[in-house]
Order: sequence, then C-alpha cells, then structure tokens
Amino acid sequence: MENINIILFVCNWGPHTAFQTLQDIRADIPPEIKMVRIPCTGRISKSLLFKSFEKGADGVMLVGCKSGACRYGSGTTTAIENIRDTRELLELVGIGKERLRLATFLPDESEALLQLLTEFTNKIQELGSSTVVPSKGQAPEFISRELLAETVSLHDVFTCQDCGKCTSACPLALIGKPFSPRAVANSVIAGDISSSVKDDIWSCLTCGLCYERCPSAVNFSEFIQDIRYLLKKSELTGHETHGGFFHSLMRTMTTPELKTDRWNWLPDDVKIDKKSKTLFFGGCAPYFDTFFRKFMDVNTCNILSDSIRLLNFFDIQPALLENERCCGHDLLWSGDKENFLKLARLNAEAINNLGIEEVITACPECYRSLGHDYAKHGVDIQFNVTHLYDFLEREIGKGAVDLKKMDRNITYQDSCRLSRFENKSDLPRKLLSRLKPDGFQEMQETASAALCCGNSAWIGCDAYSKALQVKRLMQAKSTGSELLVTSCPKCQIHLKCAMEDPFRGDDLKIETMDLASIVARSIYWE
Amino acid sequence: MTETKNKETTKIDVVVTGFGGQGIVLTGRILGKAAALGDHKESTLVQSYGPESRGGACSAQVVISDNTIHYPYIKFPDILVCMSQSGYEKYIGQLKEGGELLIDQDLVRPGKEAGEIWYSIPATRMAEELGRKMMANIIMLGFFTAITKAVSLDSARNAVVGSVPKGTEEMNLKAFTKGCDYGLATLKGLEKKAAGRTGAIL
Ligand code: SF4
Ligand code: SF4
Ligand code: SF4
Repeated sequence: MENINIILFVCNWGPHTAFQTLQDIRADIPPEIKMVRIPCTGRISKSLLFKSFEKGADGVMLVGCKSGACRYGSGTTTAIENIRDTRELLELVGIGKERLRLATFLPDESEALLQLLTEFTNKIQELGSSTVVPSKGQAPEFISRELLAETVSLHDVFTCQDCGKCTSACPLALIGKPFSPRAVANSVIAGDISSSVKDDIWSCLTCGLCYERCPSAVNFSEFIQDIRYLLKKSELTGHETHGGFFHSLMRTMTTPELKTDRWNWLPDDVKIDKKSKTLFFGGCAPYFDTFFRKFMDVNTCNILSDSIRLLNFFDIQPALLENERCCGHDLLWSGDKENFLKLARLNAEAINNLGIEEVITACPECYRSLGHDYAKHGVDIQFNVTHLYDFLEREIGKGAVDLKKMDRNITYQDSCRLSRFENKSDLPRKLLSRLKPDGFQEMQETASAALCCGNSAWIGCDAYSKALQVKRLMQAKSTGSELLVTSCPKCQIHLKCAMEDPFRGDDLKIETMDLASIVARSIYWE
Repeated sequence: MTETKNKETTKIDVVVTGFGGQGIVLTGRILGKAAALGDHKESTLVQSYGPESRGGACSAQVVISDNTIHYPYIKFPDILVCMSQSGYEKYIGQLKEGGELLIDQDLVRPGKEAGEIWYSIPATRMAEELGRKMMANIIMLGFFTAITKAVSLDSARNAVVGSVPKGTEEMNLKAFTKGCDYGLATLKGLEKKAAGRTGAIL
C-alpha cells in the first residue's frame, strides 16, 4: 500500500463531537487521516483546500454541519460552493475532483462518520498518491548588502537623478498611497530594506509607467522583479491576494508528471488540428472563470474560444498544448524565479517537441513571457510567438474581409504588457478603427500613458488598488461609452472586481468585452 | 512553380485597360514576359494609346498561348482588366461569355452588362497606402495572378523584378504580394460564401 496523506478538516461545532467519540472509543480511524479542527467549514477557502494538495495531500475531506445546523448560518452553503469550485479546479489542473469531498454530520453520527472516512481512505488508496511534487520550503536566506548592490548595478539604478518624475507619474502615488519609486530606489541603493521599504517593493504594480518617464531610463519594474526575487529568498510571504491561491496553483503546475486538463470546456464548433504547426496558447482563463464564478460574472474563456474561432475563420486550425501550464508570468513578477523557470521549461519543451513553428496567443502576459522572458532566462525556444492582434492585422490587411459596423460607443483599456512593455499600443487601435464604432473615445490617460487595472501578479491588492480601479472606471464612464474594450483577461477581472463595490451601486458598472470577442462577432468575408 | 490553369485551352487573350500614366503597358509587358520567360509559352503584346497619350485611354492586349501566335490583336478577351471607367465601357461588351472581369473598385463602377461575378480590388488606394500611387498596376498584376492563374506566381514575380526600374524591386514585390494576397483572400471569401460561412461565430 502506498503511503498516502489525507487531510480531514472537521468543524468544531457539530461533527468534531462525532470524531471525538471515535477517538474515545478507540475506533479504527484510518491512520492516513490527519485531522485539523476548524471553526467553520465556510472559512476553509478554495485557497486552503487547494494548498493542501500543493503541499502533498492525496485526499482532502471537509466535514461540517448539516446546512440548517451551521452555527454561523451560511458556513455550509459557502463550503458547498467552495468545494464545487475547487473540485472543478482540481479537475482542470489534473489532480482530479474525486480527491476532494464534502460531508456533513450531526454530533451523534460517529458511526456514519467512521464509515465515510474508511470509504474515502480506500478510494484514495485505490487512486494512489497524487502526482504533485510539493515544492520544498527553504530556509530563509539573509540578503546581504552585496546582493542588493549587485541588483542595483545590474539595472543601473545609480543613474537615478533623483528628479522624482517617476513618483509624479506613478498611479499608486497619484491615488494617494504614501509610495514613491524614487524613494524605494534610493533606499535600496543605500542598502536599506526595512519593512516599510519591503512593503513598497511588494506594492509596485510593475506597470512600467515610471520607466516611460524616467530621463535616466531606470527600468523600475524590471528592477522590482529582481529585488522581489531576493526578498522571496528571505521571507515566506509575498503579499499574495486570494490567500495565495494563484501562486499555489502555479507552483502545483511545475510538477512534470501532472497531466492537466485545461481544455475540457472547449465548445464543439471550435476546430483544432493536432498536427498543425501553429499552436494556440490559451493561458489560465479556465482557472480564472472557475475561481471567480462566485464573485462576479467573469467569462475569460470566451477570449480563448473566440480567438480560436478567428483562427478558424482564416482557415487555421491550430494545435493546442494538451498539457498546457501557466506561462509563469505571475511567478516571475512575484519573485519566484525558480518555479517560473520550471514552468517555462516544461511549456517550451512540450511546444518544441510538437515541432511547432508559430505560437499564437491572445493574452498579453503569455505573449510577453513566451516571446520575451523565456529566452531572456535562457529557455530554449524553437518557435515564433505572435500576438493574435498581429495575426489579425496581417490577415485582415490582405483584404476581402471586413468588420460589421458597431453601433456602440466604445473606449479601450490598455494592457500594460502590450502597450508599454511591448510598445504595441497602436495595434489594438488599428483593429478598433476597423470596427467603425459609433464613437471611439479614448480615456483621459491612454496608450503608453494609460492607467493600469490596479493589480499585477496577484499581489499587493489593497484599498489603493481599489481606489485606482475606481478612478479608471470613472474615466471610462466619463467618455460616455457603453462598452469598455479590454485586451487582457486580468484587466477584465480586476476592473470587474471594482465594479462590484456595493456602496457605489451601479455607478461603476460598464459592460466589458475583450477585443478578440468583439472582432470574432463582427468579422465577415466580403 | 504554381500550377497554371486552362490546360486544355491553349490560348488566353487578356486586355488590360486604363489611362495613360497608370503603367498599363508595363503591366502588359510584365505579363507577357512572365508567360514567355517564366512559363515558356508564347506571348504577344499590342499597345494602344488614345488620342492624348497622357491621361487618355490606354490599353494593352496580351495573348498567351502554348502554340505559335499568328495574330496578336484581340477582339474578344478571355480576361479583361479595367483600371478606368472609360476602358471598362469600351471593352466590356466584348468580354467573352464566361470570361473574367477584374477591376479597380474605386475607379470602375460595373453595370448590368458585367454579369454576376467580377473580381474587384482597391488597387490604387492600396498603392496610396504603400506611399506609391504608381504601383497600383503592380498590385493589380498580383491580384490578376492570384485570381486568373493565367501565369504562374513565380514567373510573375520574376518578371516584375526584371521589368521595374533598378532599386525599386523590393517595393514592387511588396506591392505585387499585396495584390496577390488580396486575390487569394478574395477567392477564399467566395469559397466561404458558397459554403454559407461568412462569419467567425457560427
Ligand atoms: S524618474 Fe528615473 S531618474 Fe527620476 S527619480 Fe525616478 S528613477 Fe530616478
Ligand atoms: S511600475 Fe508602476 S506602480 Fe511601480 S513604481 Fe512604476 S509607476 Fe509606480
Ligand atoms: S482587484 Fe479584485 S480580483 Fe483583482 S486581485 Fe484585487 S481582489 Fe483580486
């Protein structure tokens, strides 16, 4: 028999009594089970459930009170939703939903509890241990002054003239956060990374606006990326949002043996050809949609299916990477270079092995990572990376294709990776102008000067991020547009999150749609 | 080398019309060269200018054949390429039944006599976008090659390179490719339409 681990979360109030009874009578509780007593099943978030698997659990069972018997009212309902979503996420990532279960018991149902525990343990034994290799924790390292100095000189931060242009451009500073890139640069140069400096290092959105303005061309975002890498070695937390769910998900995907199943939702009309030399790289949309289903109506999977439909429109039936993993963008930008590299190598190797010549993606972050950061970090890439918009411009430019006129007033949210990092702010605008909308009104700050969506790499989301998003949405609203066009799934998620603000009611609401989906709905052969 | 069509018909009569200054005659010459030098066929060219050669009506008659050509003048073209309304009006009545009509869509408005199907391209506008208005004829030639396949793609490209002024080869090839892509896209569009699939979302 394999050596397996099962985590049992048991609610303090009802079923724990049943569990205690089993302990008192020295019942045969399977030894694989490690029990964790919890205050309420509703507090065991998707992130905690998922992390158990990342850290080596082969099975997880959440045991709570019967729906009407929850001491806090809504705990069991929340748990039902969390379990449903996490099971789907486990399925997508290739761990398998059957490894996670929810059950409810009354305090006197110890026998039934024992029976279920035994059953579940047998089931997990049958499945065997999960393929996930837990990433080893490492002892925090001390960041020496030399290491800091090295990073400073690598990015030529010494050339900073102390002019403050970065701070006066920084959206976080402008929204009122006591935050200054110039001050951060100066502190790090002086070898000071006290806790307040660290907080600032984790707060930066790496949006790149400051770099646009800096007369000395100090690439602050890239500098932050490397400093975070140092910090990550010396401390455990990285200010992750959503309980670190996304980082845990990404780390899980570094297991080579994992067989992900992220395309299981793809609609039937979308045409794929396994033998194609063109590959469509999707990105993590399926995870986003499942994770956020409960909070807001996020549907970023549409971006992927509509992108493939657009390829099909031009008679390209792309291959998909069956075992596609996260591109690693957010790990890289939150300081976890080791795991970024693992993902990068796994993806690149899988694509190389298929003999792919061109990778097309609609996600600005995947585009940046695959097309730029993989090679920069020495990963062997034997294919070209094309953004969907470049492909569309190329094909539409050949003629005989037009886009239906759009009877809407629209505005556009730039993606920082596409508009600033890749200098392609014109590209989506060319496509937008082909749409011939009723009106296209730019927001106050736009193109390479655009305000970002308020979060990056799932870290450091706070009240200032919210304020920034509200400001951006107000800018969008004040253009008089009915539709906010986006080009990054994350922009859509973070901005929609701000729209949910219960105190603002419908004030901030504006219909949002990705450019790929809009083009897919309007394009036709003349 | 791409396949040329009309294997069984050994003779294709092409008339290219427009006004002086559009490079109509050069188009004819390139076409003839492509057929003769590239595809190893016979070809002839007859050029005619209207009363005032600059800006006036102008046409080129090109015969492409597998056999010796005995008579270079064309009465009823198989393919008619029009880059001006007056050229269109003058020749459309003579286009053979089932012949192919290619037009610059911004310069020619075809009437009822054009029948159901013709192929159009905004060649002059595309040339303007390239910054070279006078390359509209080369764009048209690319379009012609893709649509009619009267000469092979490689021969046409080589003939373009061999016929345009030194130093402008690259620009001209770019123009040729634009026209050719447009032609291929047009054919694809027709195919999609015939299959009833014009949009991306079904
Ligand atoms: S803009 Fe550049 S030079 Fe000016 S303070 Fe900021 S980092 Fe230094
Ligand atoms: S990258 Fe953006 S958030 Fe970070 S310091 Fe620069 S402007 Fe501010
Ligand atoms: S904006 Fe909303 S969705 Fe985005 S990181 Fe913050 S809390 Fe999460």
